[in-house]
Amino acid sequence: MNAIPDFVNTLLPFLPEWIRAVVFYGVVALILFISVILTMAFLTLAERRVIGSIQARIGPNRVGPGGLLQPFADVLKLMLKEIVIPTASNKFLFIIAPLLAVIPALAAWAVVPLWPGFAVADINAGLLYLLALSSAGVYGVILAGWATNSKYAFLGAMRAAAQMVAYEIAMGFALVGVVMAAGSLNLGDIIDRQAGSHFSYFFWWMIPLFVVYFISGVAETNRAPFDVVEGESEIVAGFHVEYSGMAFAVFFVAEYVNMILISALTSIFFFGGWLSPFESWSFMPEFLRAGGFHWLFLKISFFLFCYLWFRATFPRYRYDQIMRLGWKVFIPVTLVWLAVLGVFFAYDIGPWSK
Amino acid sequence: MKTPASFFKTFFLTELLVGLYVTMRQFVARPNVTVQYPEEKTPQSPRYRGLHAQRRYANGQERCIACKLCEAVCPALAITIESDVAADGTRRTTRYDIDLFKCIFCGFCEEACPVDAIVETRIHEYHFENPGENIMTKDKLLAIGDRYEAMIAADKAADAKYR
Amino acid sequence: MSITEILFYAFSGVLLVSAVGVITARNPVHAALFLVFSFINSAVLWLLLEAEFLAIVLVLVYVGAVMVLFLFVVMMLDINIAQVREGFTRYAPLGILIALIVVAEIGSVVYVKSLGTEVTPVAQVAVEEGYSNTGALGELLYTKYLYPFELAAVILLLAIVAAIVLTMRQRVGLKQQDVAAQVSVRAKDRIRVVKMAPVIEPPAGSEQGEKQP
Repeated sequence: MNAIPDFVNTLLPFLPEWIRAVVFYGVVALILFISVILTMAFLTLAERRVIGSIQARIGPNRVGPGGLLQPFADVLKLMLKEIVIPTASNKFLFIIAPLLAVIPALAAWAVVPLWPGFAVADINAGLLYLLALSSAGVYGVILAGWATNSKYAFLGAMRAAAQMVAYEIAMGFALVGVVMAAGSLNLGDIIDRQAGSHFSYFFWWMIPLFVVYFISGVAETNRAPFDVVEGESEIVAGFHVEYSGMAFAVFFVAEYVNMILISALTSIFFFGGWLSPFESWSFMPEFLRAGGFHWLFLKISFFLFCYLWFRATFPRYRYDQIMRLGWKVFIPVTLVWLAVLGVFFAYDIGPWSK
Repeated sequence: MKTPASFFKTFFLTELLVGLYVTMRQFVARPNVTVQYPEEKTPQSPRYRGLHAQRRYANGQERCIACKLCEAVCPALAITIESDVAADGTRRTTRYDIDLFKCIFCGFCEEACPVDAIVETRIHEYHFENPGENIMTKDKLLAIGDRYEAMIAADKAADAKYR
Repeated sequence: MSITEILFYAFSGVLLVSAVGVITARNPVHAALFLVFSFINSAVLWLLLEAEFLAIVLVLVYVGAVMVLFLFVVMMLDINIAQVREGFTRYAPLGILIALIVVAEIGSVVYVKSLGTEVTPVAQVAVEEGYSNTGALGELLYTKYLYPFELAAVILLLAIVAAIVLTMRQRVGLKQQDVAAQVSVRAKDRIRVVKMAPVIEPPAGSEQGEKQP
């Protein structure tokens, strides 16, 4: 954990220590929350513009300059809509399910290191915390599907459950390689171990793990081509078929925040997070060689673009193909590469050799 | 069946990368073909079948002779005609209603009309605000015809050589 | 009473309530959700003990994987509650007896343990800078408890292999698809393009004239 900065102590000297901590971390968390939500809002716009462009369309460009205010118009519309609760649904679970989906997605941001030496909560088992939260996120989907009391929603929930459990494993195995190389579960340490030059990024030494991790991340967030959970053509909208207004918007937020999170984690685990790619190039000016939030931002943007790119390119996988890919391709691939990494370590090949 | 080549093809995801290349090429190179509607409009054919109109002869006499061919041919049963003998002894409609909610804009009425009385104009930007406004009465149709006679006549002339 | 104690009692209270909920809830899905809730609460209790590795693994394994599969099955069941409760009074004495025996066993274990060693309060454990109980746990697992650990791993692996083998047997008449074969198929494997001389049709109208529009 970061220490409470002095200015907080001087501003609020009359409060007991723990209230000062609560206030400080509350404000930091609020700022992070707002930035993540804003990023998510503009991601929805970016998605529509990028996919539009790939399909030789324009996308939303009416609200505000270049459509920049479109997300706010959407939010306004969704806020004004009625939340319809189906009569035969389980009302408590129906209401609480969107929250269960969005809370883990937002809470995971606590451990993400944003710039050198900063994460809201710099905990030791950060990577495990992320895995735990991403696996807890599936409850929102499952409960939504069950509480709706509709066959379509239920089918979506069943698919979500099976898919998330399957890809969690491949994801976890891919991260085992990262943990082996970094020797730590702390995300800050993982980035520090990749410092030096861009050739010491873990990406170069575990390309298969990177591919598996990112594709599993796409599957984990139920995005195309792994969006059988929503599967418009078969089960209407899957688990959120009966959700309207803000209840639907919360699911939407959860999905997009998860996308940003997976992109951030991919850049942290395999591409050195906030490290500059030009670190070792001494002819570059100093400001380009210094690490910072902007590098992380660029890397996240690239992976988010990949998300949209995939969505515009690939047709949806069939359910059995998804299961086959997860269990019979990804898990063996990661296991084999973990063995290869073991050989690397044993013979001190790679940037982690002492 | 399983050659090393196909094995490598699977593992290096070549086909997926080819697909990604195709979409990226579209993203970078292709111009967007969207028409920004109210500002830009697509060109219309003179045969465009939009809102209906009834025409008059140059002397102001209405063309329609209440032959009811359009009513008979209308596949959506959108046209209702009642006829009577007018003051000048000619056969005229007393009622000529087109229900635009039923109309499918097939243009058969226009084709069936022996005197080119009922026509479909190029007008397609219109709306109804109250129930009942969807019924185009004879007065409304004639008003549209009077207002857009120049356009209708030009369209008819442009299409005449293909008939 | 420190904040830690207040939190401890709050979360233990919720934990107990949800644990009671697990066995009293009429709807099996609600029971499973109560179980999830009690898992999360016990994870919080572990966090209060600063055993964050155990807490997170509890959430990761039980909440994230085991209970999801549980819910998966339970949601698909159509349980008739009246039928399940039929033999309740008949089996109640036996159930109570077993419950009493379990309580007695746990009580005796706790009693015997408390005789010998003093329970060390958490606050008194000195934690030096950079101490990670994840690392400490790993060190123990891979040194002192290496053989039991490896043994447990092998047993788990065996269970996985057994489960896979059960589904892998080739039944006669079972229709399966070989995705690799499907993907690697090429047009020339399936169709043969034959070059043929063009056949000149007699002019239309000679025989089939009435069919022409």
